[in-house]
Amino acid sequence: MADSGGPAKVVETSTPGGRSLGFLRRLSMGRVAGALGGLIVVTIYLAVANDLFLTWGNVMNIFRAQSVIFILAIGMTFVILTGGLDLSVASAAGFAGMILGLSFKAGMTPVPAIILCVISGILLGLLNGVLVGVVRISPFVVTLGTMSIYTSVILVVTHGSTVSLFNYPKFNPIQTLANGDVGPFPIILLVILALYLIAWFVLHRTAFGRAVYAVGSNPEAARLNGLNVPVTLLMVYAVAGLTYALGAIQQDGRLTAAVPIVDPNQMLAVIAAVLIGGMSMRGGEGGLLGSFIGVLFLGVIQNGLTLMGVSAFWQGTVTGLILIVAVGLAVVQETGAIHRIRRRRPGKRTAHNTGVSAD
Amino acid sequence: MTQAPLVSMRGITKRFPGVTALNGVDFDLLPGEIHALVGENGSGKSTLVKCLYGFVQPDEGVIEISGVPTAIDSAHRARQFGIVAITQELTLAPTLTVAENILMGRLPRGRFGIDWGKVRRQAREALDQTGAEIDENAIVGDLSVELQQEVEIARAVSARSPVLVLDEATSSLSELATARLMAKLEQLRSQGVAVIFISHRLREVFQCASRATVLRDGQLVATLDLAGVTESELVTKMVGRTMEDLYGKRHISKGDVVLTVRDLSTLDGTVQGASLDLHEGEILGIAGLVGSGKSELGMAIYGALPSTGEVRMLGKQVRQNDPRNGMAAGMGYVPDDRKKDALLLTRGIRPNLSLPWMPFRKFTRYGLLDVRTERAMARKSCSDFAIRAPSTEFPVVQLSGGNQQKVVLARWFALRPKVVILAEPTRGIDVGAKSEIYGFMQDMAEQGTGIIMISSEMPELLGVADRILVMYQGRLCGEFDPGDSGEEEIAHVVCIGEMKAAGVC
Repeated sequence: MADSGGPAKVVETSTPGGRSLGFLRRLSMGRVAGALGGLIVVTIYLAVANDLFLTWGNVMNIFRAQSVIFILAIGMTFVILTGGLDLSVASAAGFAGMILGLSFKAGMTPVPAIILCVISGILLGLLNGVLVGVVRISPFVVTLGTMSIYTSVILVVTHGSTVSLFNYPKFNPIQTLANGDVGPFPIILLVILALYLIAWFVLHRTAFGRAVYAVGSNPEAARLNGLNVPVTLLMVYAVAGLTYALGAIQQDGRLTAAVPIVDPNQMLAVIAAVLIGGMSMRGGEGGLLGSFIGVLFLGVIQNGLTLMGVSAFWQGTVTGLILIVAVGLAVVQETGAIHRIRRRRPGKRTAHNTGVSAD
Repeated sequence: MTQAPLVSMRGITKRFPGVTALNGVDFDLLPGEIHALVGENGSGKSTLVKCLYGFVQPDEGVIEISGVPTAIDSAHRARQFGIVAITQELTLAPTLTVAENILMGRLPRGRFGIDWGKVRRQAREALDQTGAEIDENAIVGDLSVELQQEVEIARAVSARSPVLVLDEATSSLSELATARLMAKLEQLRSQGVAVIFISHRLREVFQCASRATVLRDGQLVATLDLAGVTESELVTKMVGRTMEDLYGKRHISKGDVVLTVRDLSTLDGTVQGASLDLHEGEILGIAGLVGSGKSELGMAIYGALPSTGEVRMLGKQVRQNDPRNGMAAGMGYVPDDRKKDALLLTRGIRPNLSLPWMPFRKFTRYGLLDVRTERAMARKSCSDFAIRAPSTEFPVVQLSGGNQQKVVLARWFALRPKVVILAEPTRGIDVGAKSEIYGFMQDMAEQGTGIIMISSEMPELLGVADRILVMYQGRLCGEFDPGDSGEEEIAHVVCIGEMKAAGVC
């Protein structure tokens, strides 16, 4: 605190590197570095160990295989930024995907079918948002409940049978979107990049994005400074629902069907990827770049295991280990930081506020 | 006194960044005495006893117990030395029974594990000893805070330790329970137990203690025999200090009334029927103890705490159910706990500064951010308020307390509000930053902003405020002109709730 003594008004001692440091911080490089480092190490190892790995076709395959997770992770990033969690991600996507499938089955053309699918996704998200933001139930409880509900409603509506879209010519555009290429690039990779750019813009260049970070960082400070916390949460879950619907479109396109069974691994993969990318469960920290790298990291691992001929049964173990190591490293870093913060507090408070809230 | 002290603390110094909480304090505790520690908020009395019960380790100094120098590095160690503390913070396990809590860590064992009959009997005894009428089989979490505090006391007393520390242990007790506790303390004292007693209520101090050690700003002022001292003499010792020109008080002419508050009561009862007027360019101080309702008054006026009554800005009624209404009417609010309620600790200076600028669309258009304007405004705030940081993107976590507080003030002052409510504007920051903040407040007042300054630190109220209102147990009960009122006179009302001469309340 030596720097705040004396009345001299010396301000903003701008260091030469200040600007570029700020730029890195805005990309939240600090938190992303771990996942990026892991990704690079694994990529180098696989490139050396396996000739097939670093071929164009294989790399594009990784993006294709992870395409749905990439899209779902955008919504999850928004939710976790507010300090929340959305367990209903895969179920909501399954629900919206089923709406899409049933729309085609009912003879609709792609545009109204997609609109219906997107609206349903937003509504599913809004339901989560109302319960979390307005009624103030814990996100874990709310989305655990809605996960169960959305999953079961799909089964009720379809009687558990898959809606195959193979024979619907009107479905072709969506299939092309999911599997087609423009030049050397899969169309969906370009779509994913565009979606990440749009989401980045929303988070970092709009008042809403600011509110998302503020609410996640300190909801009481956000409230006392005039932000509408319930509405912000409501919108965050709605945005998440929107991305789940977009993910669902890609999912149906890849499978040429709307499947009534929700894969619980999908939810785990989305959450794991976002956390590996350096997002803090307490909110207000991290960002889309981390989530992108997290999803890619998991995709590379999966692809590598397959190429090396390791049984698919091991994938869960590896994903789990990476998740624990990545988040564990962040926790060690953070508790170190918390320790420093606490020591800065003036005496009266030091001993009192020792509980780190875990909600 | 010829008796050898049971506990002797010599030259205790404890520094926290920016604050020296204790500076070479000496303290002796004799067997069979009740020794009060008194001082204003932040004088270091809590820190001193925390050194004794192992919550804080002193940077310098020696603690001797029965003449033997000892290091007390944990609460567990302290208990081994026979030091047991009762604090405001409850340390009971809420899901266990009263009996289990009282005997926790020393449950009597029978042939088949724990002897539950004996647990209940011993707990009953402990409760009866302190006169607490609590069922020993009740679940602690179901009890009121007051009863929990009584369980805590019964547990500490039944441990039969030679040194008992009560750090504001009576703050949540009723008068009756306090009286019972006093009687029990007197009984323990006569059995040779030594008690350190900390309370804001000077009446209690005079009732039970025989000696008092006065601390001020982490320094030892005096250790007195209370027999020959009056309450006001003690208060003088507590607050009397040489006034340097830390405040730089300027003469600022008052304008019209900008804020009127009539009969304001919070729904939780912490504020009852408060009325006040605030003029343009006026700095209105609000004094009171912790828990007097003074922070809640500030929150309620701003709209952050639901309340009934009337708040008017320039004659126009403000709805008191949402901070956004207060903001829209031209109010700003700085909460007393900057880390918990004001700062976005995961973010940089710029988004922290611009937080309340967003609802006013200072740098947004159609919901889009104009980052260039924002950055320019943030730069200007940093230079206007002498916020010392490498850049506007610097994480606020890494700033000193003084610079953090300047960020919180600057975000409001940049909006030129008609009224700002500042709760503990200089809590836990060093003298240099304090002085700067007093300067900024007066700059604001000169531009016509009305300022409500809620503070537990009497000197700053006297140094900066144009008028001081005193809050006691939820009510405003005294108005002073700092020019012709002494610190003592005001402190009397702060601690006791009534005027010195006649009971005007």
